[in-house]
Amino acid sequence: MLFGVACVISTVWLFVDVLNANEGNLARIRWMSRAAAVFMWLAFVAGGYWYVADYGADKAIILKGPWPFAHDYFMETKEHFVITLLLVATYLPIAASNNLVVNPGARRLVLSVAGLVAVLALLAEGHGAIIAMGVKVAMLARPH
Amino acid sequence: MENSRVSKHTNAFGLSLVLCSILNALLVIAKEKSKAVSAAMQRITGHHWLTHVAIIFILFAVGGWLLARTNGGQGPSLGAQRINSTILTGVVASVLIILGFYLIAG
Repeated sequence: MLFGVACVISTVWLFVDVLNANEGNLARIRWMSRAAAVFMWLAFVAGGYWYVADYGADKAIILKGPWPFAHDYFMETKEHFVITLLLVATYLPIAASNNLVVNPGARRLVLSVAGLVAVLALLAEGHGAIIAMGVKVAMLARPH
Repeated sequence: MENSRVSKHTNAFGLSLVLCSILNALLVIAKEKSKAVSAAMQRITGHHWLTHVAIIFILFAVGGWLLARTNGGQGPSLGAQRINSTILTGVVASVLIILGFYLIAG
């Protein structure tokens, strides 16, 4: 989650910098695009490890609780659209490698890609929150 | 006239991104609809999701590399606006396919 939030923050930073692209911030734009991609990869590897190694226990709890859709819909969709999110984040430094100062078309491309990263990352965070709530409500619903 | 040319890698990996995003969504449907596909993907790496990720990223890297060598080494001849709209359409469509599929089929 920490890396996911860092990815969103660097992407939003990048977005604002690209809106004001000039010779002075071009190097920073390219570094921020790389940072966003690296943070997304770290989030993906950490989240992926947890999903493969540890999620089974949470899944069993969720499915026995009152919010089975937390797994059936939110985890099932999240585990797959984050692959697209990682592809888009990986592409961000490639798009940002163009000269954004003299090329308005490339600027719009980077703004679109950064927008996709931010929206998909926030969607993933929201899905993650609902999955965590699925575990919580299932634990609360257990007989004491 | 405004400068709208982008590098060959921007075009090549942009197209590869779109193709792999759509393939990602189609692979989800194939896995869910066919137990044989899901079981085969499970066997390859020990977890269907790891195989899914590996397939998509290998194809993204290889696809981008190959596309950059098309057109006499110039890569696909797309302008910034065309690759931009292709990426937006492809990525949004792939995410909507995934979200919609589980809503309907789930």
